[in-house]
This record gives sequence, C-alpha cells and structure tokens, in this order.
Amino acid sequence: MTDTGFLAGVRREIRRMASRKMYIFGMVAVPVLMAVFFLSLLKPGLPLKVPTAVVDLDHSSMSRTVTRSLNALELIDISRKLESYDEALAGIRRGEIYGFFVIPDNFEKDALGGRTPTLEYYTNLTYFVPGTLSFKGFKTVAVSTAGSVVRASLVSLGVDPEQVGAMLQPIAIDNHPIGNPWLSYAIYLCPSFTFATFALMIMLMTVFSITMEIKNGTSVGWLATAKGRITVAVSSKLLTHTVVWFAIGLFISWLLWGWSHFPVNGSLGWLLAAVALLILACQAFGLFIASVVPNPRLAFSLTALFGILTFSFTGFSFPVQSMYGFLAVFSWLSPVRYFFMIYINEGLNGYPLFYSRMWYVALMLFPVVACSLLWRLKKACERPVYVP
Amino acid sequence: MNLFRSFRRWSTDMGRVFRNEWSLVLGDVGVILFFFILPLAYPIVYTLIYNPEVVEKMPVAIVDNCRSAESREFAFKADACPAIKVYSFPADMAEARSQMAAGDIFGIIEIPSSYARDLATGQQTHIQFYAEMSLLLRYRSFLSALTDLQMELVGEQTAEKIEGHGLGSLAVSGMPVKSHSNFLGDTEQGFASFVIPGIVILILQQSMILGINMICGTSRERRRRNGGIDPKAVNGVSASATVWGKTLCYLVCYIPVTLYILRFIPEIFNLPHYGSPADYLLFIFPMLLASAFLGQTLNYFMKERESAFIIIVFTSVVFLFLSGLTWPRYAMSPLWLALGDLVPGVWGVEGFIRINSNAASLAETATAFKAMWILAAVYMLSAFWVTAYIDAREKRRAAEHAVETDKIATH
Repeated sequence: MTDTGFLAGVRREIRRMASRKMYIFGMVAVPVLMAVFFLSLLKPGLPLKVPTAVVDLDHSSMSRTVTRSLNALELIDISRKLESYDEALAGIRRGEIYGFFVIPDNFEKDALGGRTPTLEYYTNLTYFVPGTLSFKGFKTVAVSTAGSVVRASLVSLGVDPEQVGAMLQPIAIDNHPIGNPWLSYAIYLCPSFTFATFALMIMLMTVFSITMEIKNGTSVGWLATAKGRITVAVSSKLLTHTVVWFAIGLFISWLLWGWSHFPVNGSLGWLLAAVALLILACQAFGLFIASVVPNPRLAFSLTALFGILTFSFTGFSFPVQSMYGFLAVFSWLSPVRYFFMIYINEGLNGYPLFYSRMWYVALMLFPVVACSLLWRLKKACERPVYVP
Repeated sequence: MNLFRSFRRWSTDMGRVFRNEWSLVLGDVGVILFFFILPLAYPIVYTLIYNPEVVEKMPVAIVDNCRSAESREFAFKADACPAIKVYSFPADMAEARSQMAAGDIFGIIEIPSSYARDLATGQQTHIQFYAEMSLLLRYRSFLSALTDLQMELVGEQTAEKIEGHGLGSLAVSGMPVKSHSNFLGDTEQGFASFVIPGIVILILQQSMILGINMICGTSRERRRRNGGIDPKAVNGVSASATVWGKTLCYLVCYIPVTLYILRFIPEIFNLPHYGSPADYLLFIFPMLLASAFLGQTLNYFMKERESAFIIIVFTSVVFLFLSGLTWPRYAMSPLWLALGDLVPGVWGVEGFIRINSNAASLAETATAFKAMWILAAVYMLSAFWVTAYIDAREKRRAAEHAVETDKIATH
C-alpha cells in the first residue's frame, strides 16, 4: 500500500501546502520580505544628520565658528537657524528638529573677557537614537570650543603647543567597539529582528498546519495516512516544512551575510547549523503548543503572544540581565534567545565554538520536549473537536 | 423629502448593524481577548519588561598594567560609576578576553604601564576600553559613564597643571567657556519611558485590526456554511450602513481601553506624561477611526477565523519600525516613508509621543492629526468597497455552488 507511510504523508502535505495561498504567504513571502525590509530600512547603519537647530543670539565671529563646527559634524545637520529658545522648543514639539544649540548673547565678548559664558544644548530624548546622537555631536563641539579657547590662551601665554594637549586632556580614553567599529545599528538589529520574525512565522505556520487539520476534521485522514502512528504523521508533515524553511533560511542568511556582508567573525558553517536548529526548535515549539491546546484560536493566541513578546524579552535592545527575574526567565523559553546568543558569539564576536556549546544543546532540547506531548495530539487528532 | 427619507432609512439600518455588532463582539471570546484583554495586559507586560529603564552595574574587567596608586584610584572611581561594576582584575589581556568570551564581563579597561609616569610628567596617557557590542544600549551607557569619569579626572589634573605653570588666573576661573546639556522628553534616559508611549499606540491599532478581522473571518465561515449569507449579520443593508454601524460599535468598545492606555498606564508606571487629556484624546480619535476602517478593508483577505493571526500579527513589527520610534523617519528612504504614511498608527505614534513626552499641543501635532483624518476618509471608502465586494462574491459563489449541487442531484 503506497498511499500510507512517511512518503505518503509527505506527498499529502505537499498537496495541502499547494492548495492554500496562506502557505506561500507565511512560509516564503513574509520571511523574505521582512529580511528585505530590515536590510533596506537600516541600510545607512546609523541615522546620521539628525535635524537640529542653532539659536545664535550672539552673531559674532566666534559664534559663527561654533555653528560651522556643528555643521561639519556628520552626526547632526543644522537644518534651521532660529531666533529664540521658544521657537526652538516649538520646533521640537512639531517634530521639525530633534535638538538645538543655544549660543548666548555676548558670547564672544564674555569668553575673551573671562566672564565664562555657558553654551546650552537641548536634546529631545523622546526619540532615543537621534536624541543621543545629537547629544554626542553637541557635546563634542561644546567641549572642543571651550578647549580651543583655553588652548589659544595658553599658547599665547607661552606654553609649548605640544604640551597644551596633554594639559587639557591628560587622560584620554580610547574606545574600541569590538566587532562593530562603525557602531552600525544594522549589524545587530537586522539579523536579530529578521530571524525573530522568521521564528515567529515558523511557529505560527506550524500551529496553523496542525490545528487546521483538527478544525476541518481532516486529522483522521492525516493519521490514517501514517497508519495511525502519530510520530510518522508529525514527522512527515513537519519535515516537509523543514525543507522549505531551511531553503528560506539559507536565502535570508545569504542576504545578510553574503550580499550585505554583515560580519561573520566566527564560523559561517556553525552559524548556518544554528539556523537549522532554530527552525527545528521553533517547529517543536509550535508542535508543543498545538499539543497542549489543540484548539486553533487558543493555540494561535498563545503562539502570537509569545512570539511578539519574544522581540522584547530576548534582549535585542534591552539586556536580559537588567530585567526583573521573573520575566527574564521567559527569555530562556524562547529558541530565538539561544540563536541570538550563538549569533553574538559566532557572528559578531568570533569566539571559539566552546563558548556557545550550551546554546546549541538548548536548541536541540526543544524537539525532545515537544515529542513528550505527542500522545495528547494523537488523542485530539483521532477525535477532532472544533470549538470556535 | 426623498433624501431625508433615505437618510432615515440609512441611519436605522446603521443602528441595527450597531446593535447586532455588540452581540457579535460580546459573544465571541476570541474578540473579547483582542479588544479588551490584549490592550489591558500587553502594556503592563511591556512596561514590566523595560521597567528597570537604565542599565546599571555592568561587569567590567580592569587590566591594570601600571599597578600604582594612581591606577588604583582610577579603578576605584570606575567602580563608583552607577553603570560600571568592576568584576575582576585579570593578570593580562588574554585572561580578560576569555572572561569576555565566557560572558562574565561586557567590557575591558586597560590601563597602560606608563599611566602614573605620564600623569606626573605631563604627557597625555591613553586608557583603552574594549567594549562587547552585543547591545548598543550597553555601549552607550559605558561611553556615557567613562566620559563623565574622564571629565572628572581631567578636571582635577588640569587645574593642578595650569596652576603649576603659574597661570593661576585661568585655574581660578576654570574653563573660559562652560557647556551645559539639557534633556527634553525622556529626561532620565529610561528605556521604558522612551519605548512604551509608542508601543501602546500600536497596541491600540493592532488589537482593533486583529479583532475586526477575526469577526470577519468567522462571518465568512458562516457564509460558506449557509449559502453565502451570514445568519448572524444584518442582511439587506447597504455597505456604508454596515461599515458605519460596525465602526461605531468598535469605537465605543475602545473608549475605556483608550482611556486606560493613554491616561492610566503612564501614571501607574511613572512614565513621562505631560500632555493634556484634551489634546491626546482628541488626537487619538481619528487614529481609532482610521484603524477601524483599515481593519474592515483588510477583511478582503480573511477567509477564516484564524487568518488574522498569520496575516496581521507580523505587521506589528513592521509598523513599529515604520513609526520612527526605533529608527527615525528622517533617515528612511522615500519608499518606507510612503508606506509608513499609509498607516494610521505611524502618525499616531509621531503625534502622541510628542504630546505625551514633550508637552506638545494638538496644534503642534497638526500634520499628524490631518494625516490621520485623510487616512480615515480613504480607508472608509475602501471599507465600503470591500464590504460590498465580499457580500456580492460570497452570494455569487453560493449560487454557483447551489447550481452545481442541483445538477448533481438531478442526475
């Protein structure tokens, strides 16, 4: 009987996948489009040229020098020259500028006359990234303006120019951002968010394929194709998907690490192995949820809830170490967290595989745990009940 | 007279749809989950995740090649920074690197062996800082802490030096020009304060769209079982009355939820909350309207009850990025700007966080306000079209199906 068994299950699944556009949408279109979206959106790496303004109340040559220095920075773009603090604040509220620099009146006179004027700069931290970038730019110019005035005074008083640098800044701290010297957001946001979305779709589509069988009552036929064995049924269905997912995963990996040349300082082979393990772990997660709650709506709700929260508590933007303990625990339940840790080690930092060994083991545990509840799924498939 | 009569009939129809929609919403656990539970719980969960707000006491190793009183003072001052915790004093860089690889530390500070000597002889000394870049937030916190540390140490040293050269006047007055930074908006640089006001607006939009599409998907399933007609819907009513009746029902559902999200969540969690309720409640109204219409437009794709999950859920991530919260809109290419312009939530985030954190008034967020009204008008028309189209198509399909089964039956 050739219409039962593993291969028959695979053929059945391929027919099912071809019969609904949802599969192409969820398995191919969404992951690929999301990869393209992130790559294209974050291409500049850093959102440089933050729109800012200068409020020059002095109109002297020194204030013009300061304005020129500000404009020369790549971090900020002096898009407006405003006449008052109130105008600038209104600009912030309207969203036209993200920060402004105020040069007080009589600035040049006070500076040269030793009356210590204060340069004030305002950055809008409502938007974190432009706010901190414009802060960095303003601070650089403010401090170096002060420094250059002192330097001029010291040199004119007869101090050796070579020594002035050491006098003004006896201790310098040189920063070395390892693995990301461009401070590019793209390098660490693109892979993490692309694969997190990929993981979300894997979990959702796995839950979809299993619970739709139960909902439409075709789960009996599914089991019959596998001669009543749930292990054969599940593996024939999910491994068919794995082939598709792995092809998409390879394509996304090529987009990230081939075409866009994001750094892979460790071994690409092990990173791709991690992608494969991520796919299997996410499928296992979906299978587990579907086994615990075979009801489509509940299963989807749980998966979507967990999948969306994954973006937050796996620590892409805010470290897990700083979260409250009871929430940080959830991060260890997500396959994406382990993949992220592996990516940091292999892709960004290039550490030896030894340091990532536990994450690989963790990813391999997911299918094992999911298989423990197959008996529940079998019961639900034999007697499919649909509760809307 | 005719016009008046047809308007009366239209508003009666709309009222029937409105009443009927309540039973569809309240009788469906899935929709209650989306309309009420999700907006209730998600802001709390998100805020709890990010509530620690700032990153503190990040472990750092100090490779002290100088081992003098001055270098120990540096290490002591570094440990005193709130952001830094000195985890270890490895013997050399190799030991420090293996600690970093093991994940015990996130940064290495290397003090050169000439540190004390350079300070004494007036040479510039360079301290090296190696940062692990898995999280830019950590790097930024490190940088901020180290810059402050450097400024403090430099301040002491410079005053001494300048005095030593006999330039006492400069030393007394300090630097000739001072600078002062002021933070607007999220003044504590807290992560939750920055991200939550934006996320809650998107939660409002997405939960509404998900709920609407679940209702529609369920309705389509009922149509398939009942010859193209949904027995639980009000039939024989124009598309515009259907859309408006449903929209009014959803808007009323969202009044308590909106108040909760926009007013109480920031208060409970001590997030910035400077806008006036008159401003932000008026502001959010067109966004809710546009979201309701957009949701009904997306009904086109909902073949079954659970379609909403696969088609809509991932868009939350897309809209979060398009809103300009994580990546500012001025740095986006025209394509993504245009796509973002089509989403009501994107304008909602732009305006609301300015009202909320920068105390902007409705007048100052006029661009976003106007944009949301335009989107509401556009999506209203598309919702009319989709509703009419679905109705016609399902009836046509059912009629064809009936003809087929008749053919089979009579043979």
